[in-house]
Amino acid sequence: MRDLDDELMERYRAGDENAFTLLVRRHQQPLVNFIARFINDRDGAEDLAQETFIRIFKASRRYKPGRAQFKTWMYHIATNLCKNELRNRGRRDRYRVDNVVDGDGDGGDSEQIDLIESAPADVAFQPEVALERKELHDAIQTAIAELPEQYRVPLVLRDLQGLSYDEISEVLELRSGTTKSRINRARLMLKDKLQSFVSCS
Amino acid sequence: MKCLQAEEHFSAHFEDTLDYQTLQRFEEHLAACEACQQEYTRFQESVKAVRQLPQIEPSPDFMPTLLQRLAEEQREIGGVSEIIGTSWKRLQDVFRRPRWAFSGIVALLLIAVVGGYLYQDGFLSDRDAQPTVVITPASEESQVGPSPVELPVDVRRSVPDVNRFLPRGVTSTSQQPMQRHYILKQVSYTNASTRGGL
Ligand SMILES: [Zn+2]
Repeated sequence: MRDLDDELMERYRAGDENAFTLLVRRHQQPLVNFIARFINDRDGAEDLAQETFIRIFKASRRYKPGRAQFKTWMYHIATNLCKNELRNRGRRDRYRVDNVVDGDGDGGDSEQIDLIESAPADVAFQPEVALERKELHDAIQTAIAELPEQYRVPLVLRDLQGLSYDEISEVLELRSGTTKSRINRARLMLKDKLQSFVSCS
Repeated sequence: MKCLQAEEHFSAHFEDTLDYQTLQRFEEHLAACEACQQEYTRFQESVKAVRQLPQIEPSPDFMPTLLQRLAEEQREIGGVSEIIGTSWKRLQDVFRRPRWAFSGIVALLLIAVVGGYLYQDGFLSDRDAQPTVVITPASEESQVGPSPVELPVDVRRSVPDVNRFLPRGVTSTSQQPMQRHYILKQVSYTNASTRGGL
């Protein structure tokens, strides 16, 4: 069967504007989730996800159906944007440290991910459960954010985005052995970081 | 199998992708090694916990903002294509005139003009494949009708249409000048993809 994303790209290139909106609608949620988990910043994630779609729109002529999946292409673009963003933030932070005058911290830094409102509805009537769960989620997000980038990205793609190992290798342009060992390494590191949260009964 | 080796197979065992022999040796080791048993249990718990993280949803503003940003992009490209558009029209007019009105020299001049516009605006220079502007100088016998002029896909598609990505009912004139917030605008996809691994 023909891939729907490919068909939408082709329709868009043929002048069907609605096709692009449909593409965005299909992928916006996973993309925002991926970027937010990657850069540990929810507001910044929306901006970068939009930037990703703009890149895709601009490069739509270059897209070759069947050569790479639309999805992996999208994640590839997003990954590069995120890496650059983090690099730039690092540079800005270093600059800020050098210029100690910055007092009230209005540097436009977005807050870290706060997930309290996205807690599943079934725990709404049990505040202490909700809080516990939120604590766990925060701890996991922090642990992920602390992973070195080369381990964090494949882990997020695998365990949060549900991509296959082959797809991840394609996104990150890695040999499949490297992808596998990085994901395993990332999970081992997380296991150690989450030691106090994950019970071993 | 040693503990360190066993650890390397945690993911493969968890995802059930070990081959028979490795599976045997892995389970043999685990049965005999309490430390690895514990570590593997924690490993599984931790992977499951990570996978249960809630999905982050885009805000309701996501699509409207994206459409606005795209309309802005379109307008930018539109400015360039207007220039190209008029050159293209002039070119067509020239080729509709009688045979003596055009020659290879005219065509070459136009190539230079169009090419100049495109290049000056950086419109072509950042594309990975230079689109071609092929203008065949008309010979004595093949001058009826417009000459075969092949313009890049860019030019054909880039008729300025700023409303293209606006929500229905919104026209570009009713729209406020939007704030620009392209964080990473200067980094092109091709640049960003030349990389030395992670
Ligand atoms: Zn052991």
